[in-house]
Amino acid sequence: MKKGILLSLMSLFFVVSMSGQKYFTRDGKISFFSDTPLEKIEAHNSKATSVLDASNGNLEFAVLIKAFQFEKALMQEHFNENYMESSKFPKSSFKGKVTNIKDINLKKDGEYNATVKGQLTIHGVTKDVETTGKFVVAGGKISAKSAFNVAVADYNITIPAVVRDNIAKTVKIAVDIKFEELKQ
Amino acid sequence: MKKVILIGVLVLGAIGAITAYLVYNKPHKNMEKAAADIALEAETLFTAYKTDEQAADAQYLDKVVQVSGTVKGVSQEGGKTSVTLDSGDQMSGVVCELDELTKHPRTDFQVGEQVTFKGMCTGFLLDVVLVRCVEVQ
Repeated sequence: MKKGILLSLMSLFFVVSMSGQKYFTRDGKISFFSDTPLEKIEAHNSKATSVLDASNGNLEFAVLIKAFQFEKALMQEHFNENYMESSKFPKSSFKGKVTNIKDINLKKDGEYNATVKGQLTIHGVTKDVETTGKFVVAGGKISAKSAFNVAVADYNITIPAVVRDNIAKTVKIAVDIKFEELKQ
Repeated sequence: MKKVILIGVLVLGAIGAITAYLVYNKPHKNMEKAAADIALEAETLFTAYKTDEQAADAQYLDKVVQVSGTVKGVSQEGGKTSVTLDSGDQMSGVVCELDELTKHPRTDFQVGEQVTFKGMCTGFLLDVVLVRCVEVQ
């Protein structure tokens, strides 16, 4: 009998500890940087969503292209209308995994290096990508950062000859996320 | 005669350069002055997106959309204020990110209060997302 109670208590603890395994945000920051000798361009989006399942490392991102904000209105217009065709392809997304999630303890303060692998979709084109990032857990708060490069041509984005020297062939994408625990 | 042509070319060149400069530096839309293309309730906007995202995109993307609703949550992230309006759905809402280029009379909103924003509709993720929002009194 005692054993039965103990077992059910244990399974209850197990369920409780398992339930806090999903993390999300709807205020994720994604920026990109195009750097050429002629022109530096950057744009920021602070409305990315992301879900991380710490039990298996599944990680997803989604971002609305039209929510990227540029310093110059003209660049934002070109970005949306000519390069990203954001009315046709309003979203970009990532679906993949933190491959070394077993080495990361999101319940414990510390810095953890992460390897991320998955499929990145931009401009309607999906490619396999792999990058590294960092999780920082401090005072129970979880943040994640990563930066990686994307070749514009890989995603069928054509840059007209006139501005070829103004826009980098490879743009840097920076991700900066503060995760919250998903209460179910 | 040659002098006149030279001056003409210089003037044309200057006009061209100024035009190019003005186009290059054209300002962002002034959201305070921008007229709303559509005005509706947050719940109506959300339902449109939940029912048929493509149709809703065709109707609302890139438009100045004015939404009214009840404040469900407020977040301050990296100096940016976002107000989530109740959509009738438990998980999702209509998120209005306040415009960075506008000086807002206030950025503190109380959960439960009735507000109206206008902003650029950018689409649907977990929520319908409006950016560059300003409060409409």
